[in-house]
Amino acid sequence: MSYDIIFSWLQATLRWSAPLLLVAVGEIFSERSGIINMGIEGIMLCGALCGIAASFYSQNILVAVLATIALGAIMGLAVAYLTVSRRTNQVVTGLMVNMLATGATNLLFAMMSETRSTRVGTFPIIFPQAMQKIPVLGEIFFCQPISTWIAFILPFIAAVVLYKTKWGLNVRAVGDHPQAVATAGLSVIKIKYQAVICSGIFAALGGCVLTLGEVGYFASGGMTGGRGFIVMAAVVVGGWDPLRTAIACIIFGAADAAQLRLQGMGSVIPYQFLQMLPYLITVVALTGMVKSSHVPKTWGAAYDPDSH
Amino acid sequence: MKTEKKPNITTIPFLGDIILSGSRTLTGIALGLLTSGILIALSNANPLVAYGAMIKGAFGDIYAFCNVLVRVSPLLLGGMGVAIGNKAGIWNTGIEGYMYLGAIGSGLVAIQDWGLPSALHILLAVIVGMAFAAVWGLIPGYLRAHRGVNEVTCTIMLNYVAIYLTNWLVSDAGFFAESGAFFPMSKIFQDSAQLPILLRGTSLHPGVFVGIIVCLIFFFLLKYTPFGFRTRMLGGNPNAARYSGVDIKKQIVLVMVLGAMLGGLGGAIEVIGLRHRVYSDFVTGVGYECIAVALLAGGNPVGVIFAGFFFAILKVGGATMSIETGVSSSMTSIIMALCVLFVIGVGLTDNHRVKKKSNKADVKQKEE
Amino acid sequence: MEEPKFALQMTDITKRFPGVLANDRISLDCKKGEVLGLLGENGAGKTTLMNVLYGMHQPDSGKILINEKEVEITSPSKAIELGIGMVHQHFKLVETLTVLENIVLGIPSNKVFLDLEPIRRRLLELCQEYELYVDPDAEVWKLPVGQQQWVEILKALYRNAQVLVLDEPTAVLTPSESDQLCRAIRRLTSEGRSIIFISHKLREVVEITDRVTIIRDGKLVGTIPTSEATQAKLAHMMVGRPVSIDRRSRPALQQKKPVLVMKDVNALDERGIQALKNFNLTVHAGEIVGVAGVDGNGQKELAECISGLKKPVSGTISVNDTLITDVVADPKFIGFIPEDRQKTGLVMDFSVAENLIIKEYDKEPYAEKRLLNLQNIKEHAQDMIKKYGIKTPTDTVKVSTLSGGNQQKVIIARELDSEPILDIACHPTRGLDMGAVAGVHDVLMKERERGAAVLFVSAELQEILALSDRIIVLFRGEIMGEVDGDTADAFTIGQLMLGQALEEKT
Repeated sequence: MSYDIIFSWLQATLRWSAPLLLVAVGEIFSERSGIINMGIEGIMLCGALCGIAASFYSQNILVAVLATIALGAIMGLAVAYLTVSRRTNQVVTGLMVNMLATGATNLLFAMMSETRSTRVGTFPIIFPQAMQKIPVLGEIFFCQPISTWIAFILPFIAAVVLYKTKWGLNVRAVGDHPQAVATAGLSVIKIKYQAVICSGIFAALGGCVLTLGEVGYFASGGMTGGRGFIVMAAVVVGGWDPLRTAIACIIFGAADAAQLRLQGMGSVIPYQFLQMLPYLITVVALTGMVKSSHVPKTWGAAYDPDSH
Repeated sequence: MKTEKKPNITTIPFLGDIILSGSRTLTGIALGLLTSGILIALSNANPLVAYGAMIKGAFGDIYAFCNVLVRVSPLLLGGMGVAIGNKAGIWNTGIEGYMYLGAIGSGLVAIQDWGLPSALHILLAVIVGMAFAAVWGLIPGYLRAHRGVNEVTCTIMLNYVAIYLTNWLVSDAGFFAESGAFFPMSKIFQDSAQLPILLRGTSLHPGVFVGIIVCLIFFFLLKYTPFGFRTRMLGGNPNAARYSGVDIKKQIVLVMVLGAMLGGLGGAIEVIGLRHRVYSDFVTGVGYECIAVALLAGGNPVGVIFAGFFFAILKVGGATMSIETGVSSSMTSIIMALCVLFVIGVGLTDNHRVKKKSNKADVKQKEE
Repeated sequence: MEEPKFALQMTDITKRFPGVLANDRISLDCKKGEVLGLLGENGAGKTTLMNVLYGMHQPDSGKILINEKEVEITSPSKAIELGIGMVHQHFKLVETLTVLENIVLGIPSNKVFLDLEPIRRRLLELCQEYELYVDPDAEVWKLPVGQQQWVEILKALYRNAQVLVLDEPTAVLTPSESDQLCRAIRRLTSEGRSIIFISHKLREVVEITDRVTIIRDGKLVGTIPTSEATQAKLAHMMVGRPVSIDRRSRPALQQKKPVLVMKDVNALDERGIQALKNFNLTVHAGEIVGVAGVDGNGQKELAECISGLKKPVSGTISVNDTLITDVVADPKFIGFIPEDRQKTGLVMDFSVAENLIIKEYDKEPYAEKRLLNLQNIKEHAQDMIKKYGIKTPTDTVKVSTLSGGNQQKVIIARELDSEPILDIACHPTRGLDMGAVAGVHDVLMKERERGAAVLFVSAELQEILALSDRIIVLFRGEIMGEVDGDTADAFTIGQLMLGQALEEKT
């Protein structure tokens, strides 16, 4: 009995970490390029609704994913335009994108009342029934939807892209010394745009995984519940490194999953305190970190192409 | 270096600045309203009719306008709380949390039947509320000043913690929550702890005046006192502030706690003036609106008053617009966000360009 | 077809910024295998001209010819393609990346993945060839400044630069590194490459270049063969009037009253590396002690410790027998002209008047009864503007709109007007043009006459020699040696800067 709880907790940990991992991967690239995309919370929310809506109307999960990617790219582009080209304050821009997203998703969701009652198609489970039946392993791993598997592979791919490819080198360089990149004959603006759009796409996908990964419905009024902010914290705690950030995300996912489980068990501790857990852990982790870790030098600062 | 200085309105010190920043803000707001208008049209309503309904909803009669005055009070106090942080170069994004804590603190006092005279009971409730918020603000303040923790992430995390704390208090905690209520809420406040209603038939309480007075006090503080000088210096150049002997850490904590107290005051007034109970999510989203207010105001306390009223009008009018044209009231937050995005989008680069122009002109100016 | 004689020709380059004519019909040319000096004061337009060459700015008019063919340089990548390489005064290296990664950054290739091995091989060849040795796998921030410059040069050579622009290359080098650089330059020119050598150190220009182009106020003054040039002549052309930094005559020190006393001070730098080692120093009233040394050998930490900005790990610092324990923001006690005007010394968004009181805003007469007295602040500002000749339209304009020299005057007025016991001047003339430099020197000499103890930190040997009563030379956080100002010579100090201790004399 008690083992069952642990297994289901582990299973939920993986499931709850998946959206965080996706969002984090994009945010790492954006922050490495010097742009803090605080709008990921809002983009996630939009991605969550977009996934549901596209899945509902097309009855095709692939269409839903593509639509989400397109939406994420557009929102990323908007954030990039503001923060890179117009050099607006990144905190404000992000918070306003979040406010806009909250309003817009509420508005649109109200107009799509028919999606409310229906559960829509979710990400499939790729492993056969037989494998899912395997004790422990099946329960924890093989019954996960494909999205979870992709989310867990992604940080490794991100690490390779960041450290072993030319583009990754460009992104790392841009965040630290944009003028050096400009004098090396590359376009700083272009690289920043690419990185921010990348964070938009992954944030939207993260939202999509949140709704289509398991539950298959959207709840209006902030269903992302600050997960975008938690990812931002995870990126800082993880020192802008894909793998360390992934670990931070999984810890937050585990806290989230534990909170839900304990809530269901009717523990002596009021469940609201358990709900605080992920946020408290984040604050403690932020405190414990990591002044030593390497902050991108122009983190959060606007790049002025004419300054030398 | 030859300098060719062309006289230009923007090169006039002071006056040019005001014209420039004022026109920037107005342009941004106009663009925001225009874009929102397109969105309203897209959702099958005539934008002019919608905006008309909005204006009617906010100014149509005395009751409508009282509603605006009621709504503006937390925006003024919270907005000022963010703005003072901005002046010191700090993003105090924790206003929502402070409001919850302020409400809890004052609520704990306000539900007690101690037989205190009303003025005393109210004062005590407000003070306890502000004290709660101050302690809450001390956490990110300390972490930012002494541990270098980014205050934005930290305060936002604490906002969620505050929300769940409030949730628990109003639903489970026997000493505070109303038992058997169909909706989680605290016990009702004692009459003696409720702010007076200024106009019969409305819910107008004195909060708006408190808000305006607080903004004016801070305008004065920032401009005419050593404390304000220190704060602005910290925002302008923390290195120079330290070099001039300012205890930066202390100042950061002080500014964040002050902001928290203002937020707490806002939350306290909201519950003792309007709600008379603490509800689980009675200020959801207001904290972020306060950030928008401070931003629209450019951190200027007098600007906070204007921006606060603008947002309150949008909020109150938005409800009427929703009823009359069927556009969801969520449109209000879209309009707010778009206005701010356009203001910063139009604004900062402009500002930047002007600054650079004068820099280039003068840096290269000859000494002799 | 004859081999082209000129590697680079720039004709009638005009570049206008809003309100400023930065380059006014400037022409220069550089033959193959030639070292061309480009000489001018700060703000004369050298940097703008070179940015035009490197495609960072587009000229408003004028022509650029490479190998006698007209070209249009629209971006740095175009410039690189045309064989132009540039080593900026402020290095354009990403410090957290390795040397190799910096080299590979921006090199066009079709591969998605980084392939560092061939690049490493080629880099090591280049190191050998020009005797500029660096470790390809070291992260750049861990390298000494001199080697960072080698990386910049190697980066340009890797891209096969035929015209190499060196912007103030020796500012960060020790004398022996400078020699190494000279050898590399000779090597490059012998291969037919051309060098444009930007400097305002006249001695070097005379030593190393073949011809010199001088610009002033954004205009061309002239180009002369170095064989016909002397330092005095070049200085005259550069400034428009004869100048020289001669040793200032001074009355002898009357009595030795110690003001600043440092005992066994140890301090760390920002990275936690020891920056001052068992440091002992005494500065007396009425003397100027010059602190020489290559940048980054503890000068910054020395000044910060004395002013209280940095807490030493051990040891004591006292000024007039008062122990320094916290930030000293009392200009009646210590006047501190910080190394970086804009980052430390001023609040750029504050007005001139406000900047003049940022240390005393909470004291009388600027603050009374917990309120600022704006009238007194304004009057003080107007006094200071008059007394120190600060060129500003009013006291209410932002200090960011002032020129560098006038910004420095604001700091000097604030720090020195209340007649401090001890003056700390860190690189007070950095980035100023010659007129302003002379002004600062006058101020420091007056401070000496007044009886202040002056600690004068500078990387410019000439001004140290001109002003100091005693000279101490810092090397890796230690005093390598102390020399009397009247008898000091540049050679001895140069040796000390390299860490070679003075031989004991009996």
